[in-house]
Amino acid sequence: MLIQQLANGVFLGAVYALFAIGYTLIFGVLDILNLAHAAIFMLAAFVALSLAGLGVPLVLAFALALVVAGLLGVLLDRVAFAPLRRRNAGTLVPLISSIGAAIIMQGVARGIWGPDERRFPSNALSTAEIHIGSLTVGALDLVILAIALALMGVLSYVLRSTALGRSIRAVAADRVAAALLGVDIERTIALTFFIASALGGAAGILIGLQYNSVSLEMGARIELKGLAIIILGGMGSVTGAVIGAFLLGAVETLSVAYISSSYRDAIAFGVMFLILVLRPTGLFGKRALRAA
Amino acid sequence: MRVKSVFYAALLMVFASSVAYGAGGPMSGKTIKVGVIADVTGSAGAYGTSQKNAYELAGDDLKAGLIDVGGATLTFDFQDSATDPAQVVNLVQKFTTDGSALMIGPTLSSEAKKADPIAVGKNLTILATSNTAQGITTMGSCVFRDSLSEEQVVPQMLVKMEKAWKVRTAAIIYGDDDQFTKTDFDIFSASLKADNIDVVDIKTFHKGDVDFKAQLTAIGEKKPDLIVIGALIEEAVKIATQAKQLGFKGHLTGGNGLNSPKFIELAGPAGDGVIVGAAYYLGDTRGGNKAFVERYTKKFGKPPDQFAAQAYAAAQVVAAAIRGGATNSGQFCSFFGNMKPLMTVLGPVSFMSSRDVRADSAILEVSKGAFVPFK
Repeated sequence: MLIQQLANGVFLGAVYALFAIGYTLIFGVLDILNLAHAAIFMLAAFVALSLAGLGVPLVLAFALALVVAGLLGVLLDRVAFAPLRRRNAGTLVPLISSIGAAIIMQGVARGIWGPDERRFPSNALSTAEIHIGSLTVGALDLVILAIALALMGVLSYVLRSTALGRSIRAVAADRVAAALLGVDIERTIALTFFIASALGGAAGILIGLQYNSVSLEMGARIELKGLAIIILGGMGSVTGAVIGAFLLGAVETLSVAYISSSYRDAIAFGVMFLILVLRPTGLFGKRALRAA
Repeated sequence: MRVKSVFYAALLMVFASSVAYGAGGPMSGKTIKVGVIADVTGSAGAYGTSQKNAYELAGDDLKAGLIDVGGATLTFDFQDSATDPAQVVNLVQKFTTDGSALMIGPTLSSEAKKADPIAVGKNLTILATSNTAQGITTMGSCVFRDSLSEEQVVPQMLVKMEKAWKVRTAAIIYGDDDQFTKTDFDIFSASLKADNIDVVDIKTFHKGDVDFKAQLTAIGEKKPDLIVIGALIEEAVKIATQAKQLGFKGHLTGGNGLNSPKFIELAGPAGDGVIVGAAYYLGDTRGGNKAFVERYTKKFGKPPDQFAAQAYAAAQVVAAAIRGGATNSGQFCSFFGNMKPLMTVLGPVSFMSSRDVRADSAILEVSKGAFVPFK
């Protein structure tokens, strides 16, 4: 039973992690909270669903929707953040413009797909189960976990070992110094938005597949949790976000199983509060507010 | 100019007399507007859409003379409340001031609890068609419902299941932030207790949740014979699906939220074997139900569900009241209170002194993608 619950927590945590790393990446690089991240998360799920509905194979639909999500991220930066950046608008104004962008995207999605919850075509998903001892795991859940872990691995590799990763880290550490050293700031920021939004989109599609449910509210449901995760992990820390996400998944699952299902969110947020009291910078945060 | 106005006056007279002649009947010339509130969009949209369809069909049938209103003009002012309690309140306020003789709706019990007192305060009679929670009709002396309450259906359902399967233990999973699903919980736990069925676990969830595996894993560990699902349709589908995924072998049952063809459509094979207590059975042949099912299916491309049938039955009840001379709120209230059993698509319907409906219940099982009577 404990093993099954831990497995439930891992599957939950994997998608939280994928959502949170994009969220925290933008924070790490730009020092802004992109509250439109959840809207892109939702839009990508709808795009994948529509493509699958048109008969596009699921793998291809997934890939195309990732590209759409990434491009939406770039567009978001161009429209909502870049003009403010040029005017040195600080960190609160972009927060508001990201809320505005989120509301617009919600409105567009409502206009295109309507207000109702949607599902992937029933034949598109595997319902196979795998039994290991007393553990029951859906094959689909395993595939989703594998994709989430792979994407996290790719991000970690890109950040650590590629020229792009070095540029991103340089911009995150000190934008002016990076510019002086010849890093193309705007290009790096655009690519950061592309990667972060594609990851957020991947999370949206995967969670949509996992529960076979895509709705306008799906972004709002995960947004607060994502924010809590990245603060818990240490703002801007990708590793911290991943660990925070799995921690939240585990705490949620275990509190339902062993304490009280009615107080699930209260317990999860209570645990995070305790950790932050003990470590105000978050698990992996180097400073109170910013670390790359 | 003069010639012209005489001509128009003559034309008007001819027109007026032809209307009066064409309409005929004891109530001719009377115009009655009924305000209808339903959640066509939002999370309860599946229920409200069925209700909308029913009033559309009723409108057609009024025009075609298939529903007799004694020559009166009956219109349903149908409004979508979008599963938004604030919107429901606004609409109720509209209906208390725009000359509506009766209000039908809203869709959810939780909405009714917020909105009905406003109508009651303005002496507007209410006929609810899908509020099955406790404490609906007690809000006012003119609040009626044609929907069987779950308190009436659930005990009969449990007796049947116990007989068929020797159910000894049960677990309940329900939404603790919704009036409708909380009522499910209250009624099922009281009925289970009355039947000496041991409740081995109780788990809750919140509106909009998509992951129920933690709850279901904990419940599965206790190996209950039966899991009771107190949920609206979207959550109910996911609970049934995830319970099967986690290998639960016992039986599943639930309240009114599961009783819609949409549940079968969305749950697919995971819905098979689920038992629901219902106020309506599609295969019923009384009260014009057969023709209702045919016309509804032809118009909307799918058969009516309980919510559509209860809404259509409300139209039949309203028509009977108008034939009985009711044109305003007070007259509707007293007609409903004294109504003899009226044959509707739900079977014979009348109102008890509690203003709850007196009607038959059906215990149904999901089998190969359809509801069939449970034996």
